[in-house]
Amino acid sequence: MKIVAVTACTAGIAHTYIVAEKIQTAAEEAGHWCKVETQGTVGVQNRITPEEAQAADVVIYAHDIAIRDQERFAGKRIVDVPISVALKQPKSLIATIEKKLAQK
Amino acid sequence: MPLIDILNPDIIDLEVKGNTKDEVLRYMARDLYDNGYINDVDQFVSDIYVREAEGPTGMGSHISIPHGKSESVQKIGICIGRTLNPVKWETGMTEDGWQDTRLIFLFCVSADAEFATNHMMLLSELAGKLGNDARVARLADATTKQEVIDLILCDESELEGTELKDTEEIVDLDIDF
Repeated sequence: MKIVAVTACTAGIAHTYIVAEKIQTAAEEAGHWCKVETQGTVGVQNRITPEEAQAADVVIYAHDIAIRDQERFAGKRIVDVPISVALKQPKSLIATIEKKLAQK
Repeated sequence: MPLIDILNPDIIDLEVKGNTKDEVLRYMARDLYDNGYINDVDQFVSDIYVREAEGPTGMGSHISIPHGKSESVQKIGICIGRTLNPVKWETGMTEDGWQDTRLIFLFCVSADAEFATNHMMLLSELAGKLGNDARVARLADATTKQEVIDLILCDESELEGTELKDTEEIVDLDIDF
């Protein structure tokens, strides 16, 4: 499937980027296409375009602070988790999404 | 700017002394002070604790990533320390909320968001590299400063085949969407 994700942590220095990498790796290992946008101290990197947002099967928000520019994801299935969950259990996060999407 | 520009062997210390989190943080802050990265050890450590109070910075695999923004910062950088003794550190990765930390990445970041943005970009790139479990596992066993630097800089493909000690057990999460 196609997964897009946005990460944003309180300080915007470390977890935002570490978790972005973890989600990317977990998604690719499970055979999915994935793009992760980081919203941190240095601003937005790897920005998800409105087209990519709308083409996605699922959107992950892994965050402790508000995600910016959510309009792009209007109407999409959004999985909203604290950044700590994606840090600790990235593979379980992807696997649970797979399972739940298959049931829908 | 290449990532190596943010890595300074002078603030990599593989023999950090101290038995508590506070002792090792102060020891590493002293490394930053001695190398002109900060101008006030107490202020810097106090600002690190402001961030620590917001949530744990232990990330499993005996690694911690304390960070914060401080007006005492004169140069952006990262102090990498390995402790001689394991140190108790708060984490979200274990049931009881504590881990034994051996390797510390102490981010040295200015309170001024406009300060040295090029270096901040490099720090974010470095943080991303710590999201790779194999890299982190290898860093934990690194014995020289050069090895630490090489492991941070190396491509993911060079880390293939690394044996991981802490692999995630895949479980159903309680999420709804």
